[in-house]
Amino acid sequence: MTDTLHKHIADSGQFLSQLASRITYLIDIIGDGSWFDLEKLLEEVQQVRNAIFDLPEKELFKRMLMLEDRISILEDRAAREITPARMVNIVRSVQRFTLQDILENVYDSFTELGGEEDCNIDPAIVVARATISRRVKKRIHKHQVMVIGHEKGMGEEYRNGGCAKPWGNDKALRYMKVAETEGIPIHFLIFTPGSYPIEDFPGAAQQIARNIYAMCKLEVPTVSFISEGGSGGAEAIGLADFRLMASHGYYSVISPEGAAAIEGKIREGGKVPRELVEKCARQLKMTARDNLGLGTIDRIVHEPPLGARKDDYDFFRRLRFEMIRATDEVVLRTKSFRTFRAYALKKQIAKDYGSSDTFDVHIPWRLSEKETERLLENRSRKYRSMGQGYTELKKESLIDLHKLRDKTRETITRTYYEIKYGLLKPHKKNVQKVLEEVTGEGAAFLAKITEPVKAAVDFLSGPDGEQRLLSDENQHTSIFSREWEQYVSPLANEDRTVTCPNAAKYGCMDLWVPDLYGEFCGVCPTCGHHFPLEYQWYLQNLFDRGSVKEFNRHIVSGNPLKFEGLDARLNRDMQRTGRRSGIITFKASVLGVKIVVAMLYSNFRSGTVGSAEGEKFLRACDLARTRRRPFLAYIHTTGGIRIQEGTLGVIQMPRCTMAVREYVDSGGLYIVVYDNNSYAGPVASFLGCSPYQVGIRSSRIGFAGPRVIRETTGQDVPPDYHSARNALRRGHIQGIWDRRDFRKNLHDALMTMGGPNLYYK
Amino acid sequence: MKKEKILIANRGEIAIRIMMACEDLGCDYIVVYTHEDRESLHVRRAREKGPGKRTYRIASYKDPNEIFAVADQAGATAIHPGYGFFSENFRFARRATMRTRPITFIGPRWEVIRDLGSKINTKKVAKSLGIPVIPGSDSPIYSEIEAEALAEELFLQQREQGIRAPSVLVKASAGGGGMGIEEVQHLDTFRRVYRRIQNYAKRQFGDEGVLIEQCLRDYQHIEVQLLCDRHGTVTHFGTRNCTIQSTGRQKRVEVAPGFDPEVWDYSFDSLRVLKDITGHSVNLAREVGYDSAGTWEWVVTRDGRPYLLEVNTRIQVENEISACISRIRGREDTPVNLIREQIRTALGEKLGFTQKDIYFEGTSIELRIVAEDVKRGFAPWCGTITRFEFPQRPWARLYSHVPADKPYNIPTEYDPNLALAIIWGKDTGEAVERAGEFLLGSNIEGHNAKGEPVITNLAYLYDRLDDVLRF
Repeated sequence: MTDTLHKHIADSGQFLSQLASRITYLIDIIGDGSWFDLEKLLEEVQQVRNAIFDLPEKELFKRMLMLEDRISILEDRAAREITPARMVNIVRSVQRFTLQDILENVYDSFTELGGEEDCNIDPAIVVARATISRRVKKRIHKHQVMVIGHEKGMGEEYRNGGCAKPWGNDKALRYMKVAETEGIPIHFLIFTPGSYPIEDFPGAAQQIARNIYAMCKLEVPTVSFISEGGSGGAEAIGLADFRLMASHGYYSVISPEGAAAIEGKIREGGKVPRELVEKCARQLKMTARDNLGLGTIDRIVHEPPLGARKDDYDFFRRLRFEMIRATDEVVLRTKSFRTFRAYALKKQIAKDYGSSDTFDVHIPWRLSEKETERLLENRSRKYRSMGQGYTELKKESLIDLHKLRDKTRETITRTYYEIKYGLLKPHKKNVQKVLEEVTGEGAAFLAKITEPVKAAVDFLSGPDGEQRLLSDENQHTSIFSREWEQYVSPLANEDRTVTCPNAAKYGCMDLWVPDLYGEFCGVCPTCGHHFPLEYQWYLQNLFDRGSVKEFNRHIVSGNPLKFEGLDARLNRDMQRTGRRSGIITFKASVLGVKIVVAMLYSNFRSGTVGSAEGEKFLRACDLARTRRRPFLAYIHTTGGIRIQEGTLGVIQMPRCTMAVREYVDSGGLYIVVYDNNSYAGPVASFLGCSPYQVGIRSSRIGFAGPRVIRETTGQDVPPDYHSARNALRRGHIQGIWDRRDFRKNLHDALMTMGGPNLYYK
Repeated sequence: MKKEKILIANRGEIAIRIMMACEDLGCDYIVVYTHEDRESLHVRRAREKGPGKRTYRIASYKDPNEIFAVADQAGATAIHPGYGFFSENFRFARRATMRTRPITFIGPRWEVIRDLGSKINTKKVAKSLGIPVIPGSDSPIYSEIEAEALAEELFLQQREQGIRAPSVLVKASAGGGGMGIEEVQHLDTFRRVYRRIQNYAKRQFGDEGVLIEQCLRDYQHIEVQLLCDRHGTVTHFGTRNCTIQSTGRQKRVEVAPGFDPEVWDYSFDSLRVLKDITGHSVNLAREVGYDSAGTWEWVVTRDGRPYLLEVNTRIQVENEISACISRIRGREDTPVNLIREQIRTALGEKLGFTQKDIYFEGTSIELRIVAEDVKRGFAPWCGTITRFEFPQRPWARLYSHVPADKPYNIPTEYDPNLALAIIWGKDTGEAVERAGEFLLGSNIEGHNAKGEPVITNLAYLYDRLDDVLRF
């Protein structure tokens, strides 16, 4: 200690200011200056600093020593008492390392692309061509990589705290493509509290969706490192083959304050109690260890006990080692030579960062065509299975049966449809007759195989949901039900009038409710305003009568993180709706065209997406692919990702996008129709990436609601900011449909759009 | 008649005629009026009727919510819509019937209003009964090839009939009121017009369906008056000729019966045609289960071919000329009143007579006296009426909402109709003569804001009397 001290005698001032910054760092972490009188301690340090020249040297050293002792003790204590909320504070501290530090210390040299500092299209996103080097037995090997990340630029206003604007994410995407063209790996470094929620072109949600969609099939190895992973903003550059995370970072669906405001139903501008924030931080399972446990990240990069700061050079060395190792792993998994791969992998992976940061072998990062194919397969498998273990099925004892049934069915149907459309189609004309026979026999064959299993399942779980779907919707009666045979909304059963919200503008007369919700389909005949209708209306009026056949009812929304209070809310929604998740997936036909539909609806947890919803969506998408049917995502309403599922919810974004991308690439037709309110995660991923997105009139589409925009950007948005018209104006959607023309327009779209692989093409 | 209270949801002379019919039947009634109509006779008459509130001011005659609110407030049991406004609005009728406190809608069942309100549907049903309709499509066409083939056929047919300048009309099927209609005179130009109308229809109505029919030019406009009850009785009250119209296709002089071979020589058997179209009209009424007063509109071409145009499921302005020439055996001392009969049947009563009991006598002419400038395209005239005098004759009846005892401002919000005169004569000659006498004896004075004298169509009506029933 005295040695260290003597080194600093020459500059006691500097030593004292270091002590001061250690204290402020502690205050940052604890978030409370009164913790063990930290503020007083800071004052003391300042006093000593002011008195450097007045105090006798001995006295000065003594006091400095004492102070350092006290600080060290407090630091130890703080390190032992790190809570998830304090981790968030660490990440937000101005003393934490930023992307700039990594570029300077982890990489050898770098060239910023697309702007520098404030002369930049979006200073929150930094892209750089960088060189990273490894030592193998005294030889230095250099790798070229593309580094894409967020720069929080502590203290630099123009960086916007690492919140990427839509065009920033667009810049990221452009350089991903450059890396792809040049065949160099990409390192994504994630330091963002979230995306900047503005809708200006290219649009927050749409751009994130585009990025995720592109990253699904980016033909180069990708590695991401998360220090601050704020939901959608993180996903915009987060879909990588290997995901690293800083041990003191957080990766979460929402900030703990945001979650607390929602959980505590805090009104705008109201104070969120600190206990609630801490509780939410804990419950959201946002730490590196939690995420590793959930399988949403692959490895943790360890930081010093109180987190790495700008001058933790040892940490940077470790990070360099980990980045290289992760890239190696991704590359090695694509190698066809099995033994070599196994050997090298074992060697490289088993080796952990220790005293040395040298490598045993050099692995070039350029991939052959075959390897690229395998890279994409691996990536697809990785995301498709991510978090899958947390999906709840209806009854524990039935899991295996269902799995067995699904698997058998899946294999058989795939073969069957491949024969039907893949092999036979080219000779269709000649073998038309044979084909029909095959089809008939095929169905019989299929039934023979699956029926026994199905019967067993039905016996145990009651009849499958398909019939139930129609019967329980038909219970209500309407005054028009005799006159109009088709379904009439139960909203119509009231003898009263409502006022159209546009009455002042267009002079619409008050509407008699039975007319409005009956004959008018909930549309004001004067101005065309669409009043919301329940999702059942669409089930009954959009598809051919009796064609709706629901599947995967046994996948049930659960509470994987054991989030307090969620179980009760799920139960309540299940009782109220008679359904078990926020999504309905079914087969149906529209004027004779068979399609697969995924429908997010409002009555169940506001149509939020969690593991079960993601799983059902993914399966529906895959079903559409194997059956070569068009795939419609009808969004009655979605409130985003279900925050109570934490990152298990967030990863549904890349997961489902992966399924969608593979479906679209296979030559299908993916149409998204937004109704009522569609916001956040799903719009910024598997919905927003669709080439055909349409809004129903009077719907609202966007990334974040007006309140979140106000709170994060300080801007007030006009009331029609998220309206379908404005979404169309910004190019987010391709058209606006009137509810009354939905069926016709959908059929037109089915007949005229989509890839070559649809069964009727 | 049991305790009925009828809300009269209309204005002007029809409101007055409904009031009179109510008084005839011994029913109580209430009227609604807007601020502009506060001086109208229909309000004054209701106010002066006796104790009890009978007048309710509303903001618009067109807002159903207000009408129903008044009906509930006043405890009305039935609503008479008159003509225009809600008279052919099946939604209004449906709402009246289906609301928690149902109110009798004086008119046909709402299903009938809806089904006959659609010209396409009417045409389809008529065709199935062998009733002649204007040649053309009886459902919207969406395919260009189909449309062109039909147009070609229509041109061919017209040539075969010896029509020198054949033409077809292309209409937007969702359109109405003359919007989205174009005439095609050469088959070569058809495709272009078709596409234009199709695009227009798609843009304007969101439905690109198009109708195609033969364009008729030289015809008489004949109507058949029907009266049915809710117990299956179907009767007709003869025909009317409404060919004399303003340039905006507004009727000005109507005559009952539809033709008079005693006065004019027609190139076809006019009585036979009238008999045919009444027969067809009755058939259609039976088919759809018609249960109120209604008018079947026909056109008759110069060669005597009748075509059903549409059905008006309401009481019409000119209903009284049919009543005027009709007699019911055994009830000759009470004049026929179709409005009264309409109310009676709507309230569920039986007609109490059949077609056999109805016979006709003489000719009746209706003159629509309007403040309009005939020389300037029938432009409406606005101002104040200071003098409003008509001859008192036993063979003439006058209906007007314009008070004769004090100046009256014509509200600019509504059509400047001033009065209806109904003239009867034992034959057409006498009726025309009396109509002339009546017009010459009428005296309307007034001025507008600039002090210019009133302009009416009295002289125009007088001139057109020469054309009565002439083809």
